[in-house]
Amino acid sequence: MSPAPGVALTFDRAVADSAMRRSLLIYWALQLAAWGFCFWWQARGEVIFASAPGWKAATLWGGFSLQGLVLTEGLRRLSKRQAWLELPSGVLLLRLAASVFIITCIAYAASLALSAALYGDPIDPMLQSFYRKLAPSIRLFNEFLRVLTVYLAWIGAYFSLAMIRHRHQAEVRQLKLSEALQAAELSLLKSQLNPHFLFNALNSVRALIADEPTKAQDAVTQLARTLRYTLACGGEELVTLARELEMVEDYLALESLRLADRLQVFRDLEPVALEASIPVMLLQVLVENAIKHGIAPLKVGGTVRIAARVTRAGLLVEVENPRGPQCVQALHEGLGLRNSTRRLSLLFGSRASLELDLADPVRAVARLRLPR
Amino acid sequence: MKVLIVDDEPLARRELRRLLAMHSWVEIVGEARDIEEARERVEALHPAVVFLDVQMPGGTGFDLLEQLDRPPRVIFTTAYDRYAVKAFEVNALDYLLKPIEPERLAVALDKIRTIVQPMASSTGEAVPLDQLFVRDGPRCWFVPLNQVAVFTAEGNCVRLHWGKARPLLARSLLALEAKLDSRRFFRANRRQILNLAFIESVEAGARGRLHVQLMDGPEVEISRRQARIFRKRTTV
Repeated sequence: MSPAPGVALTFDRAVADSAMRRSLLIYWALQLAAWGFCFWWQARGEVIFASAPGWKAATLWGGFSLQGLVLTEGLRRLSKRQAWLELPSGVLLLRLAASVFIITCIAYAASLALSAALYGDPIDPMLQSFYRKLAPSIRLFNEFLRVLTVYLAWIGAYFSLAMIRHRHQAEVRQLKLSEALQAAELSLLKSQLNPHFLFNALNSVRALIADEPTKAQDAVTQLARTLRYTLACGGEELVTLARELEMVEDYLALESLRLADRLQVFRDLEPVALEASIPVMLLQVLVENAIKHGIAPLKVGGTVRIAARVTRAGLLVEVENPRGPQCVQALHEGLGLRNSTRRLSLLFGSRASLELDLADPVRAVARLRLPR
Repeated sequence: MKVLIVDDEPLARRELRRLLAMHSWVEIVGEARDIEEARERVEALHPAVVFLDVQMPGGTGFDLLEQLDRPPRVIFTTAYDRYAVKAFEVNALDYLLKPIEPERLAVALDKIRTIVQPMASSTGEAVPLDQLFVRDGPRCWFVPLNQVAVFTAEGNCVRLHWGKARPLLARSLLALEAKLDSRRFFRANRRQILNLAFIESVEAGARGRLHVQLMDGPEVEISRRQARIFRKRTTV
């Protein structure tokens, strides 16, 4: 599991890089096409409608378009560097309005000056022919509106597209983040072996070595298998019930060493149920709880019943233990069960459930339901 | 030295027995499997030291100590009970982590030998009470009585004025008084018993009362009736 985040990260970066290159390419294609069209359309209009000399029309509108290209590209870079898209929408709108105004003023002044230089009139001949009936000041104002419209359209189009993309990316990031969080949470919730159990088991083994070496050897094997299972279970979420039960049997054998005749186990397992899948280490947690809160506090001990069967809804697993009068309910709703419940809801949503049935005053039943 | 082993696990008891067999001066007088048995054995056998498991059926090792009038010296044994162990770091009582290391056990026994041996010459029962086990909330202490300046009744409990700590003991002042060494402790008034070794100065108060200033402790008033006894004892 450990190399996965690194791999995922470099993979993500590569994907993001290629996506960025592609969108930059599209941007430049659109940008060149738009300003190219502007140039061609206006210059052609000027030649046709105002019979202006070709080179003059080309200079005027080439200048206009080139300037537009430079100004808008400058705006784009500025907005990227200052991360305008991250700003609150009010502030962003204000900045966009200011940008429109400033750029329009620059472009307006430049185009008036260019036209004056080429034709001796700030209003170019094509518009002259359109504005013939208007007063000169209105002509100038109309010209301003025309430039304004061009940049308003550009900024409106560019920033609305950029905003949509930005929102989408943020959503994707959020989704990925919550997925990663869930995975991390799942691996955290997956119960590790209780250290108390581990050291008690080691103590039992130490006691057995001198008098009953065979039993000690068995215990070491069982402990090794239990440990291996817990260590290996980091990679997978679901195992077959049969596999989980193998581990639980080892665990029970070790606990029997410790609790001696105070621990009895009754198994009631349907053969079909053994092939069903169950979250790894979950049954172990239930059995551990049954021993810790049910058997261990009782002087005489008792019987843990482990039952599993397949119902129409799915797998039903029950772990039942006796409980003494001093064993209060709160004790039972320990961290183990809470974590297990959370794990189930992460894995199966509302389709799985885990409940602790305390209806009987002297018994507790943990009931686990899993979907097919 | 008489020791008692208290643990609910047969294998753990067997293991500790084997480890203790290496120390010939240690005599295992018995074993107990739960709190109730342990209380009976402690009261009947008067072990000098009890090896006490923390988690047991019927209650914890702390519950046992709370029930005993005369808590014995205790070495806690636990597999992995950080909190229990932490509770006792307050006054450095010994604890052993299971599986117990023989070297670590030897160190603990050496330490306890220096404390227990001087008392071993006198018979177990004649030794006056010299420490109290106090559990107040999550914390536990063995409180050496000669370090307590004054005991103050609070309802049915007793508040100990012990250095900077003020633990509350779940006993009545009357029950406590019966067990205290009367040569070292004095009933000052209805609510307080003071440690004579802590008296710094005594001043006469109104209507035959006495005001006693205790070393790094509060001022305690001795009632008229008790003042007469106090005067008699101190002038003799």
